[in-house]
Amino acid sequence: MSAQLVVTRGGTTSRITLALLAFAVIVLAATPWFFGVGGSGRAVALLVYVLLAVMWNALAGFAGLVSIGQTLFFGVAAYTTIRLSNAGLDPYLAILASVAIGAVLGYVTSLFMLSLKDGEFAIGMWVLSSLAHLCVNLDPLIQGETGTSLISLNGYAIETRSSITLWLALVLTLAVLAALFALLRSPTGAAITAVRDDELGARSIGVNVIRTKRIVFVLAATGTAAAGALWLASNLNFQPRAFFGVHWTAYMLFMVLVGGLGRIEGALIGAVLFFVIETFFASYGAWYLVGLGGVAVFFALVLPNGLWGWIGPRLPGEAIPTGYIINKSKT
Amino acid sequence: MTFDFTRRSVLLGAGAALGTFVLGRSQALAQATVPLKIGFISPVSGPLAGFGETDGYILDRAREALAGGVTMNGTGYSVELLDRDTQSDPSRAGQLARELINSDGVDIMIAVSTPETINPVSDACEAAGVPCISTVMPWEAWYFGRGAKPGEPSPFTYGFHFGFGVDEFYRAYISQWDLIETNRKVGVMYPNDADGNAVRAVLAPRLVEAGYEVIDPGAYETGTQDYSQQIRIFREAGIEIFNTFPIPPDFAAFWRQAAQQGLHRQIKIVQTAKTGLFPGDIEALGTLGNNIASAAYWHRDFPYTSPVTGLNGVALCDGYEAATGRQWTQQLGASLSAIDVAMAALAAAADPKDKDGVAAAIAGLTADSIAGVVDFTTGPVPNVAHGPIIGTQWQPSEKGPHQFDYVVTENATDPNVPVVGTLVPYNA
Repeated sequence: MSAQLVVTRGGTTSRITLALLAFAVIVLAATPWFFGVGGSGRAVALLVYVLLAVMWNALAGFAGLVSIGQTLFFGVAAYTTIRLSNAGLDPYLAILASVAIGAVLGYVTSLFMLSLKDGEFAIGMWVLSSLAHLCVNLDPLIQGETGTSLISLNGYAIETRSSITLWLALVLTLAVLAALFALLRSPTGAAITAVRDDELGARSIGVNVIRTKRIVFVLAATGTAAAGALWLASNLNFQPRAFFGVHWTAYMLFMVLVGGLGRIEGALIGAVLFFVIETFFASYGAWYLVGLGGVAVFFALVLPNGLWGWIGPRLPGEAIPTGYIINKSKT
Repeated sequence: MTFDFTRRSVLLGAGAALGTFVLGRSQALAQATVPLKIGFISPVSGPLAGFGETDGYILDRAREALAGGVTMNGTGYSVELLDRDTQSDPSRAGQLARELINSDGVDIMIAVSTPETINPVSDACEAAGVPCISTVMPWEAWYFGRGAKPGEPSPFTYGFHFGFGVDEFYRAYISQWDLIETNRKVGVMYPNDADGNAVRAVLAPRLVEAGYEVIDPGAYETGTQDYSQQIRIFREAGIEIFNTFPIPPDFAAFWRQAAQQGLHRQIKIVQTAKTGLFPGDIEALGTLGNNIASAAYWHRDFPYTSPVTGLNGVALCDGYEAATGRQWTQQLGASLSAIDVAMAALAAAADPKDKDGVAAAIAGLTADSIAGVVDFTTGPVPNVAHGPIIGTQWQPSEKGPHQFDYVVTENATDPNVPVVGTLVPYNA
């Protein structure tokens, strides 16, 4: 009777989660038929929140990079979408091109930003975002804070446009989520976790810290850029302040804090919760913001690990399996 | 047989009674409770609050008038006006529009005053396919500023804007400046923003064509504190007309410095736009506000009646002054005219709940309003209807009760408006 170790990566919980996610994807994809143009617009908003939360969570929760300037990628992607479509490119191709530009911008930014530590990095990102905001304001097409519109999207009939935007949002969100999932399950995932837990320790055992951080940073830049371009496509209006505004950072923080830092499930739950709160309470104006703040304070004090930090450990196995589960089994 | 007959008659009778009940009830429902929801977005607080200050009063009057519901194409509707304050924040304006569309399900949207309010709301409506009526900003900044190209078909389906443009300013200024003998030298202060750059590009060249010499020291940044450079240029050039499109704090700073350096003594006409629309702007200048000329998109002397409320300009303004104790402003008629046009738009469609139908109907709409006839069939571009700009002057009031009287001095863009005052030279 010898005990043997059995290593698994999934289980009942992850299969149920996969089924739930698949169901959510099908419902979202079918939104245009069931809930019309308005429903599609809301679905895009939900997907944008999911992208922002998951990407900010990857950055802060996995790579330990707390950025308050992710609006850099959000705003620049929206701006390049406007610029490219004004130059005659199809607006949907302009969105895809802007996502690629976001990735390139993320890489270039990482070359000098990643050598900054904690607070310096956070403030540095904010400075870059403000700088980009000012540069965008100087473009005569944007007319300062007056802004302009993604007018070429009106070339599509409204039902077509809202459906395509939704499906594009769904595809981009799934692609980014899949990339993050694959990354976390790969050997780099182990390196990411090591860097998060102890950067010096990780370096001492041979992890290339900068390279590891860069991979996450560029992925987060890409996903946030996708969110910015999609937000523009669903709202048409580009006013620099509405895209580079610091309120987006607050939303990202809220979603990740409430959902649970360091877990994909947490970010997903945080985004859905934020979406639900916004849907039902946004009309209360200033009190809605006060309420958001109150909820954030409550979670910081009572559930510092967020909702998933409470739910996750009570489930058998992982919902989104990124780690390894080791069981003793008797043979 | 008898039983059968009785049973049948009972059933028939019951069916008829039920049918009558259902029919009667559905008619009653249609007459009273099919709701039409109208969104109304304007800046009531924040830096643009002067524009929204009077909207509460206007909405009360409109709600009173519409309380009994309306009948359109034989169907009765109740009307609900949902007003929202942008707090002068453009991103909040867009957010409010999306909420009104998605959560409240408005049938038509109204957006009033300034590009910061109207453009995001118009875009949100265009994105969601909800008809939108807007007024009080230059239509060029609404149409071209949102990316439409001259000579191409209109890219907008659901947004419609009515009101003044640069051409109305040009005609009003030419008409106004001919009222006084001057040397035709115009000093201009146009800021580096959407409005300032538009008037510099379009209005200034037309003034030159009309025989005026335009002295432009260049665009200044909003919030500038020191204007001695510009004042020196204006003094050396010997300008007698001054024209500017600033935000109120910048004009107050500029005009005080100009007075300290004696520039105000040589100027016969001070023609402001964007500043000087409301009594508060002028009162803040003290005696320097005396006889500043302005241009109005509405005035209490406009000889029109609001179809929705049945009020004319005088009745509306007297009612406002009695209710609030404050002086009337030109925004009263402008905001009410937007409600007039929105109601006319809903009535013009075969079914006011059909958003595509309403949008299509507005394209061919000619509507009466308290600001005059709004005609979308003869606009300068599709989706836009002309509106007037009337030359006016803030003259110190002799009879009171307010510090200034806002007097109409010319009417080139709407000859129905009576000219009751004479333009007084600023330095007289």
